Amino acid sequence: MNTTNTHAKASTPRSVTVPDASKVPGWARTETVRRIVTVLLGIAAIVIALFPVVPNRSAQSTVIIALVVAVGAVGLNIITGYTGYLSIGHFAFIGVGAYFVAILAKAVPGVAPLVWVPVAGLVTALLAVLLGLVTYRSRGPSFVIISIAMLFLMRFVATEWHAVTNGTSGITLPMYSWPREWGNWPIHISLVVLLGLSLALSGWIRRTKFGLGLIAIREDEGKAGTVGVNSPVYKLLAFGASALLVGMAGGVYGYFMGFVDPVNMFSILLSVQLVLAVILGGRGTLFGPVLGAFIVVPLDIFANNTGGGGNTRLVMFGLLLIFLVVLLPKGVLPSLSHHLERIRTRGTVGLSGTRLGAADELSIRDRPEVPDPAELAERLEAAPPILEVKGLSKSFGGNQAVNDCTFTVPEGSITGLIGPNGSGKTTVFNLISGTLLPDAGTVRIGGTDISRMPSWGRAHRGLGRTFQSTRLFKEMSVLENIAAPLGSFSIPQLGLDAVSGREAERARELLDFVGLSRYEQAKAGSLSYGQQKLVELGQVLVLDPKLILLDEPAGGINPTLIERMGDLIRDLNAQGKSFLLVEHNMPFVLGLCNPVRVLAQGHIIAAGSPDEIQTDDAVIDAYLGDDYLLDSDNSATRRMAIEGSAS
Amino acid sequence: MTTLLQLLITGLLVGAVYALMSSGLTLIFGVMRVVNLAHGAFAVLAAYLTYTVWTWTGLDPLLSVPIIVAVMFGIGWLSYNLVVRHVRGSHISMTVLVTFGIALTIEGIAGFVWGNQSRTVRTSYTDTSVQIGPFFLPTATLLAAAIAVALLGALFFILNQTWTGRAVRASAVNESGALLVGVSVKSIAASAFALGIATLGAGGAIIAVMYPFIPGTHYQWIARLLAIVVLGGLGSLMGAVIGALSIGVAEQFATQYVGASWVEIVPFLVIIIILIVRPRGILGQKLREDATV
Amino acid sequence: MRIGASLPLTGEFSQGGADTQRGYEIWAKLQNEQGGILGRKVEMIYKDDATNQNTVVSNYNQLLSNEGVDLLLGTQSSLLNIPASTVAERAGMLYICASCASPEMFNRGFKYSFFSQQAMASDQGATFADWIIGLPKEKRPKKVAYPSLDDPFATPVAEGIRKKLEAAGIETAYADTYPVATKNFDAIVTAIRDSGAEAVVQGAQFEDGVNFVRALNRANFHPEILYQSSSPTYGQQYVDGVGKANTEGVLFSSSYHVDADTKGNKEFAARYREIYGGYPPEDAADGYAAGQVLAAVVEGVGRTDDQKALADWLRGNEVETVLGKLSWNEDGSPRGDFLLGQWQNNVSEVVLPGEAATTTRITRWRGEAF
Repeated sequence: MNTTNTHAKASTPRSVTVPDASKVPGWARTETVRRIVTVLLGIAAIVIALFPVVPNRSAQSTVIIALVVAVGAVGLNIITGYTGYLSIGHFAFIGVGAYFVAILAKAVPGVAPLVWVPVAGLVTALLAVLLGLVTYRSRGPSFVIISIAMLFLMRFVATEWHAVTNGTSGITLPMYSWPREWGNWPIHISLVVLLGLSLALSGWIRRTKFGLGLIAIREDEGKAGTVGVNSPVYKLLAFGASALLVGMAGGVYGYFMGFVDPVNMFSILLSVQLVLAVILGGRGTLFGPVLGAFIVVPLDIFANNTGGGGNTRLVMFGLLLIFLVVLLPKGVLPSLSHHLERIRTRGTVGLSGTRLGAADELSIRDRPEVPDPAELAERLEAAPPILEVKGLSKSFGGNQAVNDCTFTVPEGSITGLIGPNGSGKTTVFNLISGTLLPDAGTVRIGGTDISRMPSWGRAHRGLGRTFQSTRLFKEMSVLENIAAPLGSFSIPQLGLDAVSGREAERARELLDFVGLSRYEQAKAGSLSYGQQKLVELGQVLVLDPKLILLDEPAGGINPTLIERMGDLIRDLNAQGKSFLLVEHNMPFVLGLCNPVRVLAQGHIIAAGSPDEIQTDDAVIDAYLGDDYLLDSDNSATRRMAIEGSAS
Repeated sequence: MTTLLQLLITGLLVGAVYALMSSGLTLIFGVMRVVNLAHGAFAVLAAYLTYTVWTWTGLDPLLSVPIIVAVMFGIGWLSYNLVVRHVRGSHISMTVLVTFGIALTIEGIAGFVWGNQSRTVRTSYTDTSVQIGPFFLPTATLLAAAIAVALLGALFFILNQTWTGRAVRASAVNESGALLVGVSVKSIAASAFALGIATLGAGGAIIAVMYPFIPGTHYQWIARLLAIVVLGGLGSLMGAVIGALSIGVAEQFATQYVGASWVEIVPFLVIIIILIVRPRGILGQKLREDATV
Repeated sequence: MRIGASLPLTGEFSQGGADTQRGYEIWAKLQNEQGGILGRKVEMIYKDDATNQNTVVSNYNQLLSNEGVDLLLGTQSSLLNIPASTVAERAGMLYICASCASPEMFNRGFKYSFFSQQAMASDQGATFADWIIGLPKEKRPKKVAYPSLDDPFATPVAEGIRKKLEAAGIETAYADTYPVATKNFDAIVTAIRDSGAEAVVQGAQFEDGVNFVRALNRANFHPEILYQSSSPTYGQQYVDGVGKANTEGVLFSSSYHVDADTKGNKEFAARYREIYGGYPPEDAADGYAAGQVLAAVVEGVGRTDDQKALADWLRGNEVETVLGKLSWNEDGSPRGDFLLGQWQNNVSEVVLPGEAATTTRITRWRGEAF
């Protein structure tokens, strides 16, 4: 298993900031740190595994409960840390596992209860997948609230389903099925094995395409869809994975307690301990939740025994929660690695400060010849369209943002979509890419109706898009960002390494193509805005789309990059890609696009070659309003007005 | 039929108190997008303060409402400035965790100060009821509902007729727009939070008369209040009133016709079903995070 | 002599937990004044389990290994005593609990757990049920309502009574459980009133019992017979909660009565009044009795290092306590009967069985004698 946590790995832009070795203290060097961490982990593993040799029963039971919380926290981390869904009800899965083992132990006497533990895990995972269905509709605060409600709902079921659960009286489990001299060893070993398996599962997920998809969902679920991540299936699988081993640990826990009842098996306070463990140790890290569990549980027991009992404990948990979220929201491990990073890179130039040097200038092989615009427009319009938008409408409350919008994008063209502010351009983009669903109208791509398809389905059919203000997965490296998109969905593919083999090669090629290969290990969030736009383009290209929607590719970036962006688009177009652009920079649009569609108040008011558009009365009308028209009919002034209007 | 009407009337009376208590929760969400999980804990805190005032001075708990409201306004203002302020703008899940932390802290402190035994405030009218035709209306509930309606009216007045109130509403609808017209959204947020906790304080004083309480009682209250605002639509004040009356009546009917044990689960079922089927509730706007498919 | 106990001093069961602790405390004091156990001073070690199973388990482990206690006493409520007794059983330690009336406690084949009251929850209302059945036909209620708190001690009491009365041909007009969180009893009372019940048997803890009586008053509904399982035994707290006039005639089952002529009761009641004021509540007396049982068994065996011998001794002997004579079945459950008590003129009296009764009069709720 990797020694440093994955978070630290992602945040180390080795290829960019080569530290001056002489300035970095010896102990802070990557190799040294890695070695220290390996040794510490080894020691911790041995101590935890062999802990019952310590004859103190109370210490034994503390470690056992810490192990249960650790397994629970590692599971919770899969949906909270990786996928970004915070659950305050995750302890319910421990309760379900415990109940399942208790019920079976009672129903089938004579079989050692531990035998049922794996089955309990599977049942719990299935239940978790069912619960995961709610994430199809609810995110953010709604999901947190639902997670609490689910905990209480399960407690209610356990209370009311007398025939199976024996109601509030609970179910007692038989005594240990092994000789008394063995003490808690079998319980302890089972939990250590479960913790090992949990870490293996969690680490494996983080390394694979599956994990990359989950992190994409955490960073930006809407965007994840547009790059082909089938988020509902991902989330259901994540829920299942997060509950599988937790349910098993619950089974062992129930046997250890010797008794299960609704109040204590579905306890909100224990759920809070899981959340605390994850946040304290570090969300999204591999070992953070374990570290958190081994801090929170002993602290809890200490507060209860020497700190004054239950009330102290409540105040302590409450204040800890507040302080963590306000002062240390990232948790211990990420903060440590961040600190190390700062020591290492002290005195080197930050990423966003570096400018593109001469070496970065893109050498587009041969600029494609630009044919006569009018002729080109005619030829293109005659070709079958790659995208057909018909009668598209969408309103928000009373506001009709898109109104019976109809246009086409000819195959092989770079089509421009322009219009005054608020004319509905971005909404049209969202409707085409599936981030929004239309009230009426159809969207066809290559003749297939995609208007009801989810965004990832459209991505799988050859549609790629970028966003107005870039939406990269900021915590991922540049290379991971480009490797994250998925051109299709299949279960076996989820298990592939996140960045490896042909895909990695292809991702590197694309990085090279957009001229950013120097930055492949840098965190996407640390790049300049213009660089992020280029990365986003590369991210779209990895799916090899037929049609690429670009939302203001030239917005907010410096002139050198604008020129380079234009060259890239022309180059890609020459390779056969079609484009639909929304852009405010008129010279850029008019120099690049042909044909052009003009949108006003959600409706297409003009279409044609750039020259035709610039002299169209309706267009001038829309951009300038009637007043202007009264004063001047000089077409040169008009043209300037349009060009300058929105920049 | 009499039973039906009796249940309806009792439900509406209790619902009026729920409405007063949940108005602050929905107001706070509307203005600063913070789901205040400490709302139930603040209510129980107000109940304990009422208990203390009552045992020290013998003052009728319903008469002590102004004192409690003032104190709770201060506590709300402090909580905002000490804690909540720091997480505004962070991910909503984080604000949920912070307010849950506040709830646990209050629960623990209440345990230290007032002990973990159940407390009740007994007044001369605790066990009496008013008989109108075939219906009996518990006096305490009747008084409580009257006070709740009056205070809700006052809250609506403040929000609609005063500058601060209008500023609060403007910030709820459009933060940048409010900034543009000279509203200091920061100080408005503090006022809104304090105002929300103050109205809740009145509710806390009222429930102290109606039901016994222990520090852990806040879990039931937050469940019920959340269900109410989720049903009405997060951020909508009218929605909260409608939600509160519905939940009040639903609880009565569930007890009579389904079984008393179902009352406990009504709030949670409402939360789950509404958030899945119609996340914006009856009158709420769509949450931004829920806006995309 | 170090004796360890965990109790729910905070959280949901803190009321009973604190009372039980008072019982333990007074017992330890009085025992020490008589020279302790086997000549050694009794030292009590308490832990707070905050009404939380995880904590109760770690507390008893802590008591056994870190505190090195010689003997254990139980915690409060079956929900906590069941996991706690598992720890004791696994360690082979005698476990005497003052309140673990749930049948679940003693169907596990445990060898070291004993309940130091007279009867399990399901048998606690037997005396009351027998009395109803014995009433002349015209005085006997035809329809009975059984509202009950959904917890492992209250429900079995109401259920036990219901079984007996139904077998005797008395109709059940209403039977339902309500959750611990129930605050508003108006709807429940309305339903009971509409069911035409003439007697109400409530399986209650403290808070819900008080609330229920208040709701009965608000609804102006006064059944002739009102039985509550636990709350009327809370003494002055109960009187404060429901109001003096409303206590008149409330029937209840109790393990203990303050005026009973039982072993050590005078000293116990006097000391309780001296330290805490008022009459000792039932939980305190139960805690005291658990201490008496512990002292008797250790004195009987003469040593504490053979805990198995202690358990065997209890199975074969009777112990005199403030609750009266206690004796046990093989599984550690007690064999005996509860007292039937009634509030009369603001005093809690014992009305049945005859030999323990402090009065021969039994009255209707807020009404005439039968």
